[in-house]
Amino acid sequence: MILTNYVCSILLIALGLYCVVCKRNVFKIVIGMGVIDYGVNLLIVSIGFNPGGSAPIFTARELSHDMFFVDPVPQALTLTSIVIGACVTAMAMAIVIKLKQKYGTLDTEKIRRIHG
Amino acid sequence: MIQHLPILAIMTYFLGAFLTTLLGHNSKSVRWFLVMLASVASFVMMCLLIKPIFLDGGIIGYWMGGRAPEAGYAIGIGLEVDALSLFFGLLVTFTVLLSAVYSIKYISRDDAQDKYYTLFLMLAGGVLGLVLSGDLFNIFIMVEIMTFAAVALTAYRNWAEGSLESAFKYLAVGSIGSSMILAGTIMVYSQVHTLNLAQISALLAGQGLTNTTVFAFALLFIGFGVKAFIVPFHPIAADAYMTAPASISMVFSGMVNKAGVYGMIRLVYVVFQIMDVKSVNYLIVLLGTITMFIGVTSALNQHDFKRLLAFHSISQIGYVITAIGLATSLGIAGGLYHAMNHTLFKGLLFLCAGAVFYSAGTTDLDRLGGLAKRMPQTAAIFLVGAAAISGIPPFNGFASKWVIYQACYEAAAAASGFASIFYAVVTIVGLLVSVMTLASFVKVSQSVFFGQLPDEFDEVKEAPLLMRIPMWIMAACCLLAGLLPGPLSRFALQPAAAATLNIKGYIDTMMGGGYAASQMGDVTPVAELDFSTIGYWQPVAWLVLFVIIMAAVLIVALGSQGARGNKRSTELEKVDGKYATFFGGEHSTYSMVGGSDLFWGLRYNLRHYFGFLSDMHSGVVNDYALWAVTAAAGIILYMFLFL
Repeated sequence: MILTNYVCSILLIALGLYCVVCKRNVFKIVIGMGVIDYGVNLLIVSIGFNPGGSAPIFTARELSHDMFFVDPVPQALTLTSIVIGACVTAMAMAIVIKLKQKYGTLDTEKIRRIHG
Repeated sequence: MIQHLPILAIMTYFLGAFLTTLLGHNSKSVRWFLVMLASVASFVMMCLLIKPIFLDGGIIGYWMGGRAPEAGYAIGIGLEVDALSLFFGLLVTFTVLLSAVYSIKYISRDDAQDKYYTLFLMLAGGVLGLVLSGDLFNIFIMVEIMTFAAVALTAYRNWAEGSLESAFKYLAVGSIGSSMILAGTIMVYSQVHTLNLAQISALLAGQGLTNTTVFAFALLFIGFGVKAFIVPFHPIAADAYMTAPASISMVFSGMVNKAGVYGMIRLVYVVFQIMDVKSVNYLIVLLGTITMFIGVTSALNQHDFKRLLAFHSISQIGYVITAIGLATSLGIAGGLYHAMNHTLFKGLLFLCAGAVFYSAGTTDLDRLGGLAKRMPQTAAIFLVGAAAISGIPPFNGFASKWVIYQACYEAAAAASGFASIFYAVVTIVGLLVSVMTLASFVKVSQSVFFGQLPDEFDEVKEAPLLMRIPMWIMAACCLLAGLLPGPLSRFALQPAAAATLNIKGYIDTMMGGGYAASQMGDVTPVAELDFSTIGYWQPVAWLVLFVIIMAAVLIVALGSQGARGNKRSTELEKVDGKYATFFGGEHSTYSMVGGSDLFWGLRYNLRHYFGFLSDMHSGVVNDYALWAVTAAAGIILYMFLFL
């Protein structure tokens, strides 16, 4: 069950890297960066998961002896990481808009005035 | 009071960034006041920590919100400042202060200055937070803040050629590195269920290496490698340093890549304590050597002032990484010394490039020339920086490079068989790189400051005083750091180098006394670092020699001025136009070779190698990402095979 999560997260990261390395469109590169982020986030949540555990939010009356929780720390980390990922995507999009205005293209092969 | 200073120093920057946007939107003077206040206050706070940490040998541990560990588990977010952190913290705050002073005049012609200063202070806060933090996830957050602000500042002058594309490349490759750091962090968490560096260090040492730990180490190592811009993650750095405003290029080479270097030192020495594994030493030394060689040879290929400096910056970081990888007391001390010197002289050179850009409006080596006549002070300061980076005696570059050569040589002498040959080759490459550095700075000085002054730059004026003040301060520091290696080593370098090995002290400060011993079994006491073999030279003797030589050159130059006359280059070219470029350094009508191409012969003879370098920096973001991913895969494979 949990193995599926790990496999999926690795697949997502690999797909994202493939996107960044192989796609010639700037937009697709930004999407690839996002997919890498999602893969890492899935990995984080999976590591904090406890099979059968309940959410780590409770009141004293609900608490019984055989209860146990999933790890709340990775979930907090994921939230932070999602926020950062959103910011990075927004920033990348802003740069892409400016790139399109200045270069008139989204093709990475043509956006290479600095080289050598 | 004293334990609150680290967090206050970080918050001062972030608060300054916030207030600059809020209050400094309209008024220039309010903006300057806030920025100067924040940078001076943080610098003073870092200086106040010198006494308790460097001189008394203390370590400051600080739990945010007072959440101390409970039942042996760190539940709060901690800051931990030992001598290593403070060493880098001082570099960061010093660089920020000088860059802030320089920025006042340098960006006075741009609009959106409040946004510039906001991002500038965010960048400063991010780097300072990284070096003072004691929490792995907090380090990731600070890395992201730093990358975010750095990318935005690279694109700040979006009218400038290439600034947008280099910002995009930086973001794309940089975010691969950030994701690696995050994935590594969570791998570590899955093993030890804590994020506190001190506790991770204790628990990992108790557990020994597992497959997951090795994978986590590889990921974190790659992440910090991307942030330190070692080869092959470096092309983004070359682009970003070139297109960012010079005050920001200085900050990049002065502290942003130092943040990566710091992360790497903290990772290998304290958190994973892996430096007694020989294969890791070889990997780090190898990466450092490749970095310095590729960096300097790419620099020989350049014809833009700032891009050339950028490749030298990468090359000098190679020295630091090599020295760190040797894992000897000399190596660590030499690496830290060179990291400090690199901040000083490279910042100085970037400021000179900025002054040239401010006055002449270009940094193209083929167009510039003869500016020493119009900007004598900038030229003098540039020569100091050039002498320092090429390792010419009275300046600081010589002192630290000497220690690094010595460390490499001793490592070669101590090792046997293949390792001995490897370290010997590293020493030779180090010497060779230094020579090539000098060669390329000869080229820069002859094509920017000497030679014939083109007519278009006849009206050029010296840079304003506010820009010259930080440059003079850095030049003075370059000289002082070279002349006083003894006191510097005793009061700053040796405590910082010792801190990399004082793991027990680092853990116990945070987790309470005896925690390290309880988790790690028998804690080996800190090995006394042996600095007795450190071969500092006689600075004063060299200074006297240097003064005598300079005086002789000056007398000869003044004496022969009339005799040499002011022959126009065209007359010389009529004699033999083919070679005029090589001794004139000016634009020559009849020559196929550009004025900046002093080493055209070398480049022609090694054209296949230089062509390969040129192809490698293709400018396509996919290629850079491919380099990064391939290198990452290689490093992970290496770690699994040899660890």
